[in-house]
Amino acid sequence: MSALEEPAKRRRRDLVDVTLRVWGIVVYAFLFLPILVIVAYSFNNGRAMLVWSGIGLDGYRTGITDPTIQDAVKTSIVAASGTALIATVLGSFAGIALARRKGKWTVLFLALVFLILVTPEIVDAIALLIWYVRIGGPFGPNATIPAVSYGMLRLWAGHSLFATAVVTLIVRARLLGLEETLEEAAADLYAPPARRFRQITLPLMFPAVLAGALLAFALSLDDTIISSFVSVAGASPWPVYVFSAVRNVLRPEIASVSTLLLMLTLIAIASVALVLRRTGQSGRDVAKTMTVGG
Amino acid sequence: MSEPDEGLRILASPESAQRISRRAFMSGSVVVAVAGGSILLSACSSSSSAAGAASSGAASPTLEDQLAFLHWAAYDDPKLFKKFTQEFGPATSIDTYASNEEAITKLVAAAGSSGYDIVVPTGPYIPQMVANNLLQELDLSKIPNFKNLETVFANQPWDPGNKHSVCKDWGTVGWIVDKSQISRPINTWNDFIDVAMNEASGNFSLLDAQNEVMGVYFWANGIDWTTTDQADLDAYEAWTLQMAPHVKKFESYPGYQFASGNYALSHVWNGDARQGFNSFKDPSRYSWGMGAPKTELWMDNWTIVQGAPHPEAAYAFINFILDPANSLQDLAFHGYNTGITGVKEAAQAAGYPFLDMIFFSDAQLATMQAQEINAAFDREVQIFLKMKAAAGG
Amino acid sequence: MAQRVADSERGARRIRAPRFAMALPAWIWFVFFFTLPVLWIVYYSFGYKPDIFHPIATDKLSFDTYHEAFSSTFLHVFSQTLQISILGTALCFLIGFPFAYWLATRVAPRWRGLLLGLVVVPFFVNFLVRTIGWFILLSPNGPVSSLLQRSGIRSEPLHLLETRGAVQLGVVYNYLALMILPLFVTLDRLDPAMREASKDLGASRWKTFRQVTLPLSAPGIVAGLLLVFIPLTGDYITALVLGGAKGNMAGVMVASQFTIAQNWALGAAQAVILIAMIMGTVAVFAVIALAIRTIARANRKITLPPIVEETA
Repeated sequence: MSALEEPAKRRRRDLVDVTLRVWGIVVYAFLFLPILVIVAYSFNNGRAMLVWSGIGLDGYRTGITDPTIQDAVKTSIVAASGTALIATVLGSFAGIALARRKGKWTVLFLALVFLILVTPEIVDAIALLIWYVRIGGPFGPNATIPAVSYGMLRLWAGHSLFATAVVTLIVRARLLGLEETLEEAAADLYAPPARRFRQITLPLMFPAVLAGALLAFALSLDDTIISSFVSVAGASPWPVYVFSAVRNVLRPEIASVSTLLLMLTLIAIASVALVLRRTGQSGRDVAKTMTVGG
Repeated sequence: MSEPDEGLRILASPESAQRISRRAFMSGSVVVAVAGGSILLSACSSSSSAAGAASSGAASPTLEDQLAFLHWAAYDDPKLFKKFTQEFGPATSIDTYASNEEAITKLVAAAGSSGYDIVVPTGPYIPQMVANNLLQELDLSKIPNFKNLETVFANQPWDPGNKHSVCKDWGTVGWIVDKSQISRPINTWNDFIDVAMNEASGNFSLLDAQNEVMGVYFWANGIDWTTTDQADLDAYEAWTLQMAPHVKKFESYPGYQFASGNYALSHVWNGDARQGFNSFKDPSRYSWGMGAPKTELWMDNWTIVQGAPHPEAAYAFINFILDPANSLQDLAFHGYNTGITGVKEAAQAAGYPFLDMIFFSDAQLATMQAQEINAAFDREVQIFLKMKAAAGG
Repeated sequence: MAQRVADSERGARRIRAPRFAMALPAWIWFVFFFTLPVLWIVYYSFGYKPDIFHPIATDKLSFDTYHEAFSSTFLHVFSQTLQISILGTALCFLIGFPFAYWLATRVAPRWRGLLLGLVVVPFFVNFLVRTIGWFILLSPNGPVSSLLQRSGIRSEPLHLLETRGAVQLGVVYNYLALMILPLFVTLDRLDPAMREASKDLGASRWKTFRQVTLPLSAPGIVAGLLLVFIPLTGDYITALVLGGAKGNMAGVMVASQFTIAQNWALGAAQAVILIAMIMGTVAVFAVIALAIRTIARANRKITLPPIVEETA
């Protein structure tokens, strides 16, 4: 890996290098500009987010105490947790099958996964809305499953589609990149399949599973379109709240809560990255795994 | 990373030889499990428990713990919702829409499973909603404060005997103009259209509601907007396609946005305009005009959705909001006449600003017309959607 | 030895699960919550709207709704959407490729992970909230407008918001990461020795780039283009928040048939047309790309001169 890298000798910084570096900085500025604006306006002490009226923590105070916002954030977190669970379980097993049990079915399954990834979300949203009404059952008000609201079931099923597809690809990519030699060695040593799976395969794909779970969680938190179409009263996640605010009056608490959620997401990612580091991954591998590139 | 065993080195390539350390795996999983478990546990304790615990002695023991609104935006004082929860117990949640069509679509699509208790439709839409089983019949004995409503606002033609609805408030439609950008006075809908197509082209907004846009055309041309004549509708369609390229946005709540300079001219409901004026740093820069020579009289109503999961809470809320003190507080927030006896005098006594945008003279009232849902409705909606499509590019 | 173990295992277990067994749960989930609902939409697209309060009726199936969907005003929105998405994808590529190239080749390896993570951080803010950030930035009284006015570049407030330009900017921003990531992965995997060898053989930097780096990174480029073009064409939120009346896109149009008009048949038909448009465009560009590749390959063919036998 490092044998063929350019030796650390002083290279003449020519125009191309400088231009590329400047471009890199410009792109970072572009990417962070609206984020910085949101964080800045989260400190707006006014009633309307667009009208600046002094610095203060009013937005944060309102954001944390408003019961509607609390509800929305709680709904979002519960939806994201459920989605992460479903996506991780379904996607991991599918990924293992795709990597270790290839066959004629692989192409078909991958085509389906690809279709899910590329279908515009608006199509998913209206399809699910109609579908939920059509099949009713646990997705209707005469819910048969106690303790879980049917609105939450709708969110879990809707969010987990894209998330499962993503986890499948991450786990598959990870396992494809690892040779089967370790598992074969375990088989040679008379380890039964279940034990092989538990002690070799699972730890090997653990970084991918963890990254997939995190990604599924983040994707569900972010999901706006499907949520706004299928959500019902009492199970409206945070993005739906923001969506309706966009269509009438934007208030600073939206920016404040968004900033807080960003902080939380970053902490979660950092802790996951830390855990992955401890299992021996290099920083670059961690980043690549979590960005589906690994 | 320590040197892997010689034995493992043969089998595993350097990239994949990582610490398959049980401890690392377990610690990682434990973190995830604990985090996930705690989140789920905290989420299972429902959000309503906090609100329910705060109920005072006045709480009826049969009230549910939630109340779900399908509502217009910025249409009631949030403090009133908090007050309701404190006095009666149910926690409130609001999902919003920007036009009646949207509300009806949500309810029809959900086919009774929407989970909403109260929806606030405009009067003319109610007969059809009733015919399609979207609204419950009201038991007025559960709303003793109904007597506070001025009789002229009860018993409307679209709901005789108030079987399904109770007046929330009523209002009209007009425009806000930024005088620093438009110097011409705008007195009629024709002026409005003319300015929109010229000085304010690309810088004005229309309400995101098909009936309102329809009204602009028909009133400006002296045609009764309840017409079902296909020739009239053809002319309306042609006009929309002419108008479309000049529209900056279809926006139902432009009031606040004037403060950020988004528009020079806006088609707006009177209460939203008033909310905007309340927020302007320099109100004299803007002016509000009521539609002329004819304009709309719309009335929004409290109704209970068919299949509402929390009907008792819904009745309690409707009764609560019809209380004169609460009604006055609401009026001060949303800027629409709530129709409660004595509310005008109370508002004047309290010295609320911009009352001319809430209370109208008899002469003004005479120019106001209610809408009618008739056979032309479907076509009007599609004309509106085509106008939106044509506005692009 | 491995074979003997496998044989004994096979003997020990009478029933062998099919190869796709572990993927079956996911498969069922996908079919039930994706394939079937989408097929149902296609089914609805052949229906019609019977009256004001019923969104769909399927007792009479026909192509009538498609006739309505192909009306000129609606088609205009589709064409505008395609323009925005093709231009947007191209811009994402032009912005993202140099960036990914810089990150993969000019940045020290130990920093690459962190810097890549930094690219992704903005995308952990909610899509809608990011777009609101642009809404604030571009509003006539907002920071960008004030800056432009104060520095004298513009004499009046910025009227970029609620226009097609704002949507163009917004979609490029929102989908840029999806272009950068696959590009980076491919460029990062490229063996620097290839470029060095090319330079050793006397090729200029530009030629090296054109004939070595670019073709080798083709899979990543294709992935990036697809990952950006397809969701961008179906974009809903950016157009809704930033577009106003002028920045209308097909996604918004389809949605409004469901949220306002209650005309599920028309909305479904438009959704099908949208999907077909996306796939059709991808197919057209795939054909063009293949054609280019064939021509390029033909050009680069070297015909060796016949070997002349030396008569000893």
